[in-house]
Amino acid sequence: MHRSYLKTVIMYCVNELQGQRTIYSILHLLNGKKSSQTIQDAHLFQLTPLFRSFGNLSRGVLEHLAEEIINSSWMTAIDEKHYILTAEGKRELERSLLECPIPSSLNGWLYHSTGELFWERITLLIQVISHLNYNNVKYLPIQRKRDVHEWLKDFLRTSGFARNEVGVMLYRELGQCLEKLSEINPAVLTLRLTGYNRIGLTAVQASEQLGISQDYYHHQFLGAIHHILASVRENSAEYPLINKIVSGAGNAVQLTLSAQKTYTLLKQGLDLDDIAKIRRLKKSTIEDHVVEVALNDGGFNITRYVSEEKQKLILHAASSADSLQLKQIRQIVPESDYFEIRLVMAKLGERQ
Amino acid sequence: MTLEALLQSKFGYPAFRPGQKEIIESVLAGRNTVAMLPTGTGKSLCYQLPGYMIEGQVIIISPLLSLMQDQAEQLMMNGEKKVIAFNSFLTRSEKRQALINLNQYKFIFISPEMLYYESVLSQLKKLRIALFVVDEAHCISQWGYDFRPDYLKLGEVRQKIGNPVTLALTATATREVKADIKKSLGILDCSEFIYSVDRPNIALTVEMTDNFRVKTERLVELAESLEGPGIIYFSSKKMAEQSADLLREKGAKRVMAYHGGMDQESRILVQQQFIHGQLDLICATSAFGMGINKDNIRYVIHFHMPLQIESYLQEIGRAGRDGKQSIAIMLYAPGDEQLPIQIAENEFPDKSQIDWISDWMEENPNSILNVGAYEEQIKQRSGLTDIQWRIFNDFFERKIKSGMGYKRILQEMNGYCEDRIKLKRNSIEEVYKWIHKKNCRRENILSCFDEEKNSSVQFCCDRCGLQFENFIRNTKSDNQDRTLYDWRNHLEYLLIPGE
Repeated sequence: MHRSYLKTVIMYCVNELQGQRTIYSILHLLNGKKSSQTIQDAHLFQLTPLFRSFGNLSRGVLEHLAEEIINSSWMTAIDEKHYILTAEGKRELERSLLECPIPSSLNGWLYHSTGELFWERITLLIQVISHLNYNNVKYLPIQRKRDVHEWLKDFLRTSGFARNEVGVMLYRELGQCLEKLSEINPAVLTLRLTGYNRIGLTAVQASEQLGISQDYYHHQFLGAIHHILASVRENSAEYPLINKIVSGAGNAVQLTLSAQKTYTLLKQGLDLDDIAKIRRLKKSTIEDHVVEVALNDGGFNITRYVSEEKQKLILHAASSADSLQLKQIRQIVPESDYFEIRLVMAKLGERQ
Repeated sequence: MTLEALLQSKFGYPAFRPGQKEIIESVLAGRNTVAMLPTGTGKSLCYQLPGYMIEGQVIIISPLLSLMQDQAEQLMMNGEKKVIAFNSFLTRSEKRQALINLNQYKFIFISPEMLYYESVLSQLKKLRIALFVVDEAHCISQWGYDFRPDYLKLGEVRQKIGNPVTLALTATATREVKADIKKSLGILDCSEFIYSVDRPNIALTVEMTDNFRVKTERLVELAESLEGPGIIYFSSKKMAEQSADLLREKGAKRVMAYHGGMDQESRILVQQQFIHGQLDLICATSAFGMGINKDNIRYVIHFHMPLQIESYLQEIGRAGRDGKQSIAIMLYAPGDEQLPIQIAENEFPDKSQIDWISDWMEENPNSILNVGAYEEQIKQRSGLTDIQWRIFNDFFERKIKSGMGYKRILQEMNGYCEDRIKLKRNSIEEVYKWIHKKNCRRENILSCFDEEKNSSVQFCCDRCGLQFENFIRNTKSDNQDRTLYDWRNHLEYLLIPGE
């Protein structure tokens, strides 16, 4: 199997995890599994940018690639399914990242769902504008989802922009935004666009045309989209049209369904024991949910559960401990329980 | 307005193709009609155009979701807004919404399994149905190569909604199948319009090769030399993919694979690239081609043996819709018949699987009245594939509703599966014989449909003698786009109005 970029990404994760999680946590991370454990790990080990950046990666492929990495002596097991990079592996990782850096704009955690929706909407919008420009009404839409079609109709009717202006504005905004990409060729995105008499390329075709591997192409493509979304978020006045396209597209807070229910009860002021009783769940499960909420909602205040003083102690311990394993932190601050440490770490991960 | 004027104004065609006008007139006169038109000659127009001349709804029963989706989209592309494809693609709330507003649509596509729902049926009863169309009507017949048990219900449905004027459409139906269609729909008194399955502008050849390797080499040679655009059909996704890679390695730039395992966006793009001439060749599984309107396809190659003559005709029928000379080539290597046999057998649950399910049901009696809820469990333990599960589930649900006990159902299912496999084996046998027969290939195919060969076909088949040069590309086409790609230019082209 020749997927050297994906191997680099896996080695990058292994390096960040420092042997504290199994190889399968990488699978869950790249697949974007919405479990408390995966979400917490992503934050704890600063791997949030990679969240759901290889949604189709299978267990089998991951295992196979891990084996290849081990066979190259770049990685070694320290425990059942726990690995660390060898010195040679670290050099190899550094070398590969120099050659194919992980796009710095990639931000899977924040943008994975908005990104998908944005792409569906903008490709359809561009196709429609292009055909309008050439007065052609007979063509097959390249997006089939009904809700995307509904959105488009609504957008053209209510956006407040004149139809003949939308194309010009979009050209200006996209051009301005894409030219600020430093490490990614804007073609990764534009090659895929469809319009009058010109059908866009598939991901495979685009990667071939650009002469990069499919895996690397995939990350650059996501990187380009996330770059646009971040630009719009930072400076919506600069990109009024794109801003409109993403408005209402998925909120930043994405909780598992069960955590959402807990969150609703939390907001009603109930305490954890009550919630556990009402929901007939173990208290530890409710605590998992609270941590998930803390990870997701920047405005969520944890002082209700951990005093400011304790927070400081835990933060201090985390910076002095030689790993981010909860057990080690707890040894330094024995008066805290795991729930408190996890909550503080959730906030810490977010700040980084 | 005359039919011709309507044809021009609504669809932009200057004239009817053979058969279309007669069928449309029959339907407009209120006669039940069975029409057999060869693939690629515009069957859907036969219900689309009448739709604009009569008041009330046109209901179209269509067996394949992808085909239904394509046909609905074609209509919408033509500017028709009152179209709905009522199938399992819709979410529950979309279905509910659509049901309430059913009378606001003109063209209503429905998949047959939806007709099981009383709520759907009762809404249909309220409509004023101008025309009831059964597309791919051969699916009604047990003798047909593509029998769909859901289709058996259509006669009853038709009666329940007040015996509307009915149009049964198919591309290929033998005598038995035709009789089944009429009987099953209860339209014995119908008008019949049967047009030859023959497509004289498609030359037919079979090439014998010694083994797989030689066959692959020959495929590369053909793809390099034939005048395109073309389609190569494979029975497996993997082979389609690998062959497209191989051809690209050999320097053919504009080749792509197409199969059901690709994501939807890629499938749409590849299909559209082919239609717009950005690709010359598609390496496809049978998932490709349905509902594709591209009239200048010059060749269709079969790398694997098809499972029956009917589907072979459907697939090669995608060539030469513009009436120009085209060619169909089947590549054969000894032992090739094993793959279709295997495919046919794998479609059905086998005896050991059914026995296992029987034991399992004995231990889990709760599952019997609600097998659908145990899909994952049953599939996982018994090893049923998706297709096998569908057949199992369809059969089981149908019988359990009629009050039959599960043991008896499973027993009958064994027999049913055996019969179906036997029928499929016979079809494969027929293809095998066709490949090996020494006389005219066209004559042979036509005789399967009780037809005789039209006296003179210029480029008939390899048995009648065929000059291959006529199908060779005369210019070494250099269609590589050498202009450097500029993303800004592309964006400008897409978004800024020209003059």
